[in-house]
Amino acid sequence: MLIRSLIIEPNDTVAIVLENARKGDTIQTPRGEITLLDDIEFAHKVAIVDYAAGAPVYKYGHEIGYMENATPKGTWIHSHNMKCDRGTKAKF
Amino acid sequence: MEMKFMGWRRQDGRVGVRNYIAVIPSVFCATKTAEMIANQIEGGVLLRHPVGCGQVGLDLEFTARTLIAMGRHPNVAAVVVVGLGCERFKPEELYEGIKETDKPVGMVVIQEDGGTMPTVAKGIRIGQEFARQEVMRPRVECEVSELMVATKCGGTDATSGLSANPAVGAMCDILIKEHGGSGILSELNELLSTEDILAERAINEEVAKKIYSAIYEVEDRLRRGCDERYPARNHLISPGNFSGGVSSIVEKTLGGVHKSGSALIVDVLEYAVPPQPGQKGMFLMNSDSHDGEVVTGMIGCGAQIVAFTSGRGSPTGFPLAPVIKITGNDFTYEKMKDNFDFNAGAIISEGASINAMGRKLFDMVIRVANGEQTQAEKIGADELFCVARRL
Repeated sequence: MLIRSLIIEPNDTVAIVLENARKGDTIQTPRGEITLLDDIEFAHKVAIVDYAAGAPVYKYGHEIGYMENATPKGTWIHSHNMKCDRGTKAKF
Repeated sequence: MEMKFMGWRRQDGRVGVRNYIAVIPSVFCATKTAEMIANQIEGGVLLRHPVGCGQVGLDLEFTARTLIAMGRHPNVAAVVVVGLGCERFKPEELYEGIKETDKPVGMVVIQEDGGTMPTVAKGIRIGQEFARQEVMRPRVECEVSELMVATKCGGTDATSGLSANPAVGAMCDILIKEHGGSGILSELNELLSTEDILAERAINEEVAKKIYSAIYEVEDRLRRGCDERYPARNHLISPGNFSGGVSSIVEKTLGGVHKSGSALIVDVLEYAVPPQPGQKGMFLMNSDSHDGEVVTGMIGCGAQIVAFTSGRGSPTGFPLAPVIKITGNDFTYEKMKDNFDFNAGAIISEGASINAMGRKLFDMVIRVANGEQTQAEKIGADELFCVARRL
């Protein structure tokens, strides 16, 4: 099933799903259709690029964190696989 | 032509949108006594707090400054100060700090007035006399340029940054750019990573420097606060934020900064310290920490109305100022209608324009300024009054 989604800024590397989505559903992006590899809840993020380990994640046109491991497009992006060091001791 | 609303003009020239008789304990020990007084006064409102004892330095200064700012606030017509008598922040200082504005203020002190019951009786007499003079005082025409709206998000989810916060930002732009009014943005711990965006909006180099130093100071404090003994206690965002689809503090902040719109940032205010007279526009207030402390500080800066966004839903309110609750999540709105005044969800579900939604929200701000009650006011919610601590 095709799911409504949103890419906020052109350089973003994630899309937001605008309805609850199931693994195997698809979203439409300027770079073609992407099949979801996970169940993804309303307003959560899905990868629209293939990430190398450590690669930055962009939303709102800005870096919001980085991927811990290499991650293919279609993956649910959240705190289980994306990290961010601002305001924490990790930077030191 | 300047846009008007109907409010109250106070002795110090500021304008209010509500007309309360505030009952303010100078120390937490006087709370029950103060509550019994407030309950017997028409338009009476209690400023309940847990502070005023065993504090030193900046921590005690925040308490003193905030309680005085509540008494001086333009939504308050008159004040009854309720002291215990031995506290470090003396009731006399609270009384004098409010009196400076020529606002009617009275004082009772439990240790001097004979214990709880005689103090309650005396406080009620003072408060009822204020109510007789003030409660029926009619609203007068005031300029919309005299309104200051505090912006806040609490219970954030991933829709907050897409719909509710941009709608609040559009409302702020209308208030500031079209009508010469003011807004405040704060909770700097939730602005980490937006320092470049905000500094670019600074009115001059000096304010840009203040923005950087305020945000880096908060970030330093957060790092010091992280405790490796309790790794599960070091998250900068809440479980509700996580399940709402917000994955990092930076993702939250980039969604949160939208609620201040695009106007120039004219100054960085200290906690609960109002701008200079005549200074108007978008302000940043130097504070971190939780919903209540931030809202209290912004109201201390003089904001008469709060625009509070919540993707997950929040029932909170403030004792002396209307809090407009806004969500951008249709599911949350349907589930918690009684706690919301405004749904910006159509930006997501129907592709509605952010500017049109901002204009609808601005119209609501004006209706609330004119007296329309918010949902939090109808419930009597008052838990957002929390004096910030600095330990």
